[in-house]
Amino acid sequence: MKKTLLSMLLLGCAAQVYAADSIKLAITGPFSGGSAPMGASMRDGAKLAIAEINAAGGIAVGGKKLKIEVIERDDEGKNDRGALVAQELASMDDLSGVIGSVNTGVVMAGDKHLQEKGITKIITPAAGSASMTQWADKTDKPGPKDLSIFRFAAHDGIQAAMVVEEAINRKLTKVALLHDSTNYGVSGRDDLLAQIKAQGNKLEVVATEKFNIGDKDMTAQLLKAKTAGAQAILIWGIGPELAAVANGMDKIGLKVPLIGGWTLSMSNYIDNAGKNGNGTLMPQTFIEEPITAKARSFIDGYHKSYKVDRIPSPVSAAQGYDAVYIFAAAVKQAQSTDTRKIKEALEDLKEPVKGVIATWKHPFSKWNPADEQTHEAFRRENAVMGMVKDGRVVFANEADKQRLIKQEK
Amino acid sequence: MDVVLQMGVSGALMGLVYALIAYGFQLTFATSKSINFGQGELVMLSAFISLTLLNLGLPYWLMVPAGLLCGVLLGLVVERLAVRLALEQKSEGWILMTIILGLFGFSAAENIWGRDDHPFPTPISSDPMHFFGISVTPVELSVAIGVLSVMGLIELFKRKTLWGKAFEAVSADRDAAELMGISAKRTIMLSYGLSGMVAAMAGILVSPITTVGPTMASALILKAFSVAVVAGLDSGFGVVLIGLFLGALESLASFYIGSGWREAPGLILLILALAMKPNGVFGKASIRKV
Repeated sequence: MKKTLLSMLLLGCAAQVYAADSIKLAITGPFSGGSAPMGASMRDGAKLAIAEINAAGGIAVGGKKLKIEVIERDDEGKNDRGALVAQELASMDDLSGVIGSVNTGVVMAGDKHLQEKGITKIITPAAGSASMTQWADKTDKPGPKDLSIFRFAAHDGIQAAMVVEEAINRKLTKVALLHDSTNYGVSGRDDLLAQIKAQGNKLEVVATEKFNIGDKDMTAQLLKAKTAGAQAILIWGIGPELAAVANGMDKIGLKVPLIGGWTLSMSNYIDNAGKNGNGTLMPQTFIEEPITAKARSFIDGYHKSYKVDRIPSPVSAAQGYDAVYIFAAAVKQAQSTDTRKIKEALEDLKEPVKGVIATWKHPFSKWNPADEQTHEAFRRENAVMGMVKDGRVVFANEADKQRLIKQEK
Repeated sequence: MDVVLQMGVSGALMGLVYALIAYGFQLTFATSKSINFGQGELVMLSAFISLTLLNLGLPYWLMVPAGLLCGVLLGLVVERLAVRLALEQKSEGWILMTIILGLFGFSAAENIWGRDDHPFPTPISSDPMHFFGISVTPVELSVAIGVLSVMGLIELFKRKTLWGKAFEAVSADRDAAELMGISAKRTIMLSYGLSGMVAAMAGILVSPITTVGPTMASALILKAFSVAVVAGLDSGFGVVLIGLFLGALESLASFYIGSGWREAPGLILLILALAMKPNGVFGKASIRKV
């Protein structure tokens, strides 16, 4: 009797070990607070992809089919929480990778712990340039030779270029820059200034104003822009404060285009700005319109799984979804759950990955600290201009829509 | 010139919200010489409850009295749990207790409604109206009207009704009032109830502008406290004036000095007032017979 009990226990243990044999993937981001629409959409998009992969039996690694196991951590959009979460993840021995982070400050606070342990991370949807340039060669300090951090988002460099381009295309000459006082807002302002210079100084910056997270009254900043004769507001911030700006513009009768980072598509911007949000322009990597079969199945899948009729942040959801498929492709190519081997595979993906944003052919290449583009997946052509219209984000230019439809065919 | 006027008016209208919350401090201080340091959480909780009532389908004009009633109840809860025992023991325990109760309210709100900011629907239009080159939204005007009418009604109540007279008597001299047969305990309950109602009113009025979230009142409360201290803890008229003044000053400072300097004037004002007139600009100099 004792023997059978013992063997049953042993069997139980063995089964346990076998069951734990999975691909551990951590998803981190702000699932609460002002950035939550992005964090939660990214997580839900990623989990949709994971559910699809697991339902199909998992990923074949070394003759076994392994399922993806998710570890979720809420960093609340706070830098200190982000550092804590990263430290915890870095201490896990069997972690295969990390996907996530929305706030640039959180990335800066946390990623060094992951890099130290060589844990593969795909940043999405944080777009602040500093997330990757922090690893680049600087005059006083060379960047690391080997980097386990990748990014899957249209970084601010691309976005700022598009925003400036849009203002120039609209034949505007005087603009005001508004930004929040976080790492994201400040680095966004610098990107805008750099782009204005790079595109031939065709725009004159008549006012540069900042605001803090939680500010609701933007009258002072907007009046400065108005009295200086700004023909457009170029803006870098997140949802709730952006809405306060749009509402303030309506109040003081400042009827000029509001153009800014992709965060202008967040549901808490669109909802809190209401009709004042109409016409707002921002770069997007994904627009919630079923223009292709893949997009339709993704949008329907999201709506059905999470019982919504609008994705809170479609860009984040689509990027989370595609990032998981790219990660899965790397696991399959590496034939291992070892995070270092997955990193090597990511740097040289052989097979194209069919995602909802695009078909990704060789998105990353071997890290070169002199060129952080080597670990950036997105190029200019992966982004389009979006526009807020009656509570949704639509294509601002019909040409972009047609181009994407053609690309898929 | 238009800019100065616009900034002054926008700021002053927000300043009235500080005044209303400051008035809530005054109400309880008058009767019990105690202050609810969790007043900001009371504003926030009443706003969340009102929003929930709206979402449950209650029409706006019924939600307002219901929200105010919830404010009264919350005020009474604070009095019962955090203040009464401390006052009976003549200790200053209410300071810590009201802070603790406020923190508890904050965590409760985070757990019940989440940490996100929610828009607060209102039937009052947010389309701006223009007077003499400055624009004001009807929502902002409703704040002014709401604040002044609530404060006016309470002042009338204090002067014209028997309960109000009891209130004034306890404020003037608690021991003498008790000797005259006025229950100080009931009057203090009344003052906490009214103070809670005032907090709820502030929440309902300001939410369409600030959105509703657990942290919505944290910035307001510090300003309101400055207003109450600068005006003096016993002048209803004073808080309105100082509120208007501080609001206008803040928004002018953020325009002329820079948007990062918005908070500075309130703090400087507070320090100056405390240094020069510790009883407040409109405070009565109290004479104590020994």
